[in-house]
Amino acid sequence: MGTAALALIVLAGLFAVALACLAGVGLLLVPAALRGLRAVADRERSRLSRWGPPIADPGPVPGDWRAALRQPAAGRELLWVLHHATLGLLYGLVGLTLLFSVVRDLLFPLYWRLLPPGDAAGAGLGWTTDTWPGALAVSPVSLLWLGLALLLIPGLARLQAAPGRRLLSGDPGTDLALRVAQLTATRAAALDAHAAELRRIERSLHDGTQNRIVAVSVLLGAARRALARDPATADEVLERAQDAAEHALAELRAVVRGILPPVLDEHSLPDALSGLAAACPVPCSIEADVPGRCPASVEATAYFVVAEALTNIAKHSRARHAKVTVRRTGDRLELQIFDDGRGGAVEEAGTGLGGIRRRTEAHDGAFALSSPRGGPTTMKVSLPCGL
Amino acid sequence: MRIVIAEDDPLLREGMALLLRAEALDVVATAPDAAAFLEAVDAYEPEVAIVDVRMPPTHTNEGIVAAVEARRRLPGLAVLVLSAYVEQAFATDLLAHGSSRLGYLLKERVGRVQEFLTALHRVAGGGTAIDPEVVAQLLTRSRPGNRLDRLSPRERDVLALMAEGLGNSAIAERLVVTDGAVHKHIRSIFAKLDLAPTDGTDRRVAAVLRYLEST
Repeated sequence: MGTAALALIVLAGLFAVALACLAGVGLLLVPAALRGLRAVADRERSRLSRWGPPIADPGPVPGDWRAALRQPAAGRELLWVLHHATLGLLYGLVGLTLLFSVVRDLLFPLYWRLLPPGDAAGAGLGWTTDTWPGALAVSPVSLLWLGLALLLIPGLARLQAAPGRRLLSGDPGTDLALRVAQLTATRAAALDAHAAELRRIERSLHDGTQNRIVAVSVLLGAARRALARDPATADEVLERAQDAAEHALAELRAVVRGILPPVLDEHSLPDALSGLAAACPVPCSIEADVPGRCPASVEATAYFVVAEALTNIAKHSRARHAKVTVRRTGDRLELQIFDDGRGGAVEEAGTGLGGIRRRTEAHDGAFALSSPRGGPTTMKVSLPCGL
Repeated sequence: MRIVIAEDDPLLREGMALLLRAEALDVVATAPDAAAFLEAVDAYEPEVAIVDVRMPPTHTNEGIVAAVEARRRLPGLAVLVLSAYVEQAFATDLLAHGSSRLGYLLKERVGRVQEFLTALHRVAGGGTAIDPEVVAQLLTRSRPGNRLDRLSPRERDVLALMAEGLGNSAIAERLVVTDGAVHKHIRSIFAKLDLAPTDGTDRRVAAVLRYLEST
């Protein structure tokens, strides 16, 4: 009903613009008028999406009036607004009248005495009354209206919605084209994330682990020379070599854990996240509600996001407390990482947040960060779980 | 021998310094990045610099750039570049302006102390030290059907050692043959590859590397 009334207004506006077009000046108003139409149509789209299968919106109206008119969606919206402002409005009015009649007749005994005598017509059935029994007798008529309303309103709603569903949903080709563009972008992001991930692994192996092992080799070389020259000093050098070997092992473990945490294979995501929270130097609580398992890649990404976020918190936030919430709602895995630190986190400053965004978007997920200066910082990541 | 070490990994940096000092070499300064390295070169005017290729901030080729800059500031500075892996492009960049007093070795060679010290002294003394791995890559990636196919297996060995920067007697020692035999092999190699005979190991290395790169 609301959109039908708006549709009437827009129709009047469009009519005015069309008249102005005849005079020539209206051409300039065409894009604005179509944008108004698109706004109302989008309202109807979101209303219809709430009550049934979702309808994708066709995107913005081009600024040039020729291009705006050439959009197939614009033509269909014009047809729709014509229909919706007339028949649609009528269906709405009929529905409202029915409901109004129910209330009017039900309450008739309460207000009939206030009506001017002789004008106290008993509702829609047409008899007049000026006695109490007559007035009371009007009340049950509301049951009749109620029955009619229950019977007709769903049909009326469907009748009103049908043109919208047919004309506003755009042709299936547009939907698919938009989806293909979106998927192409996320696929490219996935490949980028993959390459960035390989680069990260290569770097941590070359600059971390390999350096440690070279150091072991260098120290062993030095120890052998020392052994030949002065055996007393050799032990000290050997101890350093052993330290370096232990460092190398720790680095290697960290690298492997960064690739695919083995804990995810053996335990659930909440367990794995609890492990991360326990290892985090900032006190961190985990609230998890994830029934069943998500695909391995989604869990690995969720784990990576939390690991990276907690590393950031430990390094930069000076937070006293952090909180990780992970919840599965429908076909999405929702993550929220909160800390009470000093805020001011920006994506450009380090590669950590950028990496989180890339990995999230590679999964067709959504990433949002709120970190005002002075804190607190909240990161929200939503990942589709397929299915 | 006054040495400056540029290496971002603290453990490896200290390990190398410890090793060289134990050999009675004079490590005058160590630096964790290119900027600190260039400052140390200005301050101490060392004879030899040992430089890691990948250093902060970008961990790509800071070491090469810094080494070239250090040689510009301090002509005659011997530079031994260490790399975590063989990147032939790095070697080419480094050797673009001649191969004298230059070395490019894999990091792990440092562990073989005697060989590392030999290479270090060779570079400090005006020679060249190219990692066997680099030479092997150059040899294997050369196109089939070129003149290298004319070499006998022994001549290939000699060519590889020449490319590493070894002098005649070092080659003879490595292959356990006489100096005279090495001389004969080298003459034959230069003839088969159509290279002009050069005197001096340094120019010889440059010629051989250029040849290998172009095939």
